[in-house]
Amino acid sequence: MFNLEGYGHLLLEGAKLTILVGLFSMVIALALGMVAALCKLSKIWILDFGAGVYTTVVRGVPELVLILLVYYGGPTLIQDASGFFGYDVYVDLNPFVAGSMTIGFIYGAFATEVFRGAFMAVSRGQIEAARACGMGSVMAFRRIQLPQMWRFAIPGLGNIWMVLIKATALISVIQLPELMRNADVAARAIRKPFTCYFVASLLYLLITILSLVFQQWAEKRASRGVRRE
Amino acid sequence: MDQSRKVSVRAENIYKKFGNLEVLKGISLEAREGDVISLIGSSGSGKSTFLRCINLLEAPTSGDIYVGEEHIKLKKNRLGKTVAVDRKQVDRIRTKLAMVFQHFNLWSHMTVLENVVEAPVHVLKKEKKAAKDAAMALLEKVGIADRHHYFPAQLSGGQQQRAAIARALAMEPDLLLFDEPTSALDPELVGEVLKVMKDLVKEGRTMIMATHEMGFAREVSSHVVFLDQGIAEDEGSPEYIFGKPQSARCRLFLSNLI
Amino acid sequence: MDISVIIESLPDFFKGTVLTIQLTAISVAIGFCLAILLSIMRVSKNPFVWMPVYGFNFYFRGTPLLVQLFLIYYGSGQFQDFLSTVGLWQYFREAYFCAVLTLTLNTAAYASEIFRGGIQGVSFGEVEAARACGMSGVKLYRRIIMPAALRIAWPAYTNEVVFLLQASSLVSIITLMDITGVARVEAAQTFAFYELFLFAAFIYLVLVYGVIFLFRKVEQRITAHLVHEAK
Repeated sequence: MFNLEGYGHLLLEGAKLTILVGLFSMVIALALGMVAALCKLSKIWILDFGAGVYTTVVRGVPELVLILLVYYGGPTLIQDASGFFGYDVYVDLNPFVAGSMTIGFIYGAFATEVFRGAFMAVSRGQIEAARACGMGSVMAFRRIQLPQMWRFAIPGLGNIWMVLIKATALISVIQLPELMRNADVAARAIRKPFTCYFVASLLYLLITILSLVFQQWAEKRASRGVRRE
Repeated sequence: MDQSRKVSVRAENIYKKFGNLEVLKGISLEAREGDVISLIGSSGSGKSTFLRCINLLEAPTSGDIYVGEEHIKLKKNRLGKTVAVDRKQVDRIRTKLAMVFQHFNLWSHMTVLENVVEAPVHVLKKEKKAAKDAAMALLEKVGIADRHHYFPAQLSGGQQQRAAIARALAMEPDLLLFDEPTSALDPELVGEVLKVMKDLVKEGRTMIMATHEMGFAREVSSHVVFLDQGIAEDEGSPEYIFGKPQSARCRLFLSNLI
Repeated sequence: MDISVIIESLPDFFKGTVLTIQLTAISVAIGFCLAILLSIMRVSKNPFVWMPVYGFNFYFRGTPLLVQLFLIYYGSGQFQDFLSTVGLWQYFREAYFCAVLTLTLNTAAYASEIFRGGIQGVSFGEVEAARACGMSGVKLYRRIIMPAALRIAWPAYTNEVVFLLQASSLVSIITLMDITGVARVEAAQTFAFYELFLFAAFIYLVLVYGVIFLFRKVEQRITAHLVHEAK
């Protein structure tokens, strides 16, 4: 049943690219999430509002629509906009960049909420003790709040990774040769769609299991010094 | 009052409102070098709030605070809240005041030693080795040098509070503030912390403490203030307060405790 | 920005929206019932009962929805002979059937984990009190456990329904004319990519926040008795 007739290596290549896209997107998501969370926690109204618009809109639109919007609509938008200013620009977004930027952009909105909750979970007493020593608010943030925040953020970020890595399958729609797309190619070539997609699904499961193991390790490391209730 | 000693801190007419609730209704206090002042009173009398106003963890709604000769400049912001005019001034002044909290507030992601050297190294910009040596000496003094590599969660309450005291001393402060330092401790652990505090009194440190430990307050204080519903209802020497205070409320409070 | 393209395609978008709502609603409804059953099985002590459910949940939550969709829609083609023999091929060749089946199974897996969390969050004292009255089995679940569990799980379930609504956009890949499908087809013809996809995004935004609003209203009603002050 599992005879892939030589297309096995294609699926593995796809899996590698899937992981690469996932990591790239995750980095973008973490960076955006951190910035937006700080905006939401800051006392400057316009930053809070801007970050709020970002999370509200991005979490209300399907990923597929956003990917298509960026990949197909993006170049046209840039061309029209630059044409308006008198420049003649031809933009060709490659699927890897378009895909990971979009996925990173989307999951940055979810990461915002995780980081925001994590910052607020650091007990006030810790920060007070730092301020009481004469530490400025920036230093207290950097040396006390930030390190402790990670302990609270890791479960939520782990969940985001789990969802994100599966969302990368959607980039197959814009022809990126990641796992899903390669399974597609193989399926058409050997006319065994069920076999190919099933093996692909098993590879995704493997990535999921490895991610769970890594997450547990990361949670343990970030909780050093904290007694488990 | 001995006029020759320098004034450590002076609070004049401190009022504090939380929303509609007025917690401090005009308290004044002066502490000179070497004074050990105890603030006593029931929960909600404002002891903690007043203490926290001194190092500006709470900003008084009105009133003035002088640390040494310096006046802490305050203003009202757009929302009507009182804030410091110059945050750097507050940070600088805080390096001369050290606070020991009821719930210790040791930084949970650092070991005991790291906790004690953190502020000297990063705020006072002391050299790491010198800070470490000084820290170990302090930990030796409070009796937990052997646990310097432990994390706070691995210590008992009494050990954590002693570590917190070492952390406060590491800043070489002019004034020590204690916010109910033994209230969160199991009874059998209170003694070890009080012993450390007594040693500090013997050294001649200037201390202001909010406390429920009446016996201790009576033994070490140079001055006792009884707070009730936001005002300094009565104050005086320990012999006076614990003997025959004029205020009826004070007498009622103390009698309920025996 | 070419507004006329959007206006011309409004009738098609309307039909697409109806399809999206239809697909989502049917999948949510069937998935909900299936999820309740699965969640009860999941908390059973009997390994023969909870392990298959654990496996099902693990598979459907650990793999992308797109893979599941292709497995069922394209993959069934590999077993065409067998399915024809048992008379099921007529269903599996239809994109609509495959879409509903996939979405239902997917949401059932996620929702059953959410409901499981709810069941395990029910205060043990309340269950004990019911048992002490002689309640057990189906009646215990129906009258005591599930109502409490659903109340606890409701906010998380709201999220899941929102995810499903957005996930339904994937059916456009297997040629169904939902909102996204309409947008793709129109865009391919008129090249007005960002206008059409922006409009599609806008429709989804409205639907999503509409669903959230409705579900919050339900949440307020079913937790009214938990409010501290008497009305």
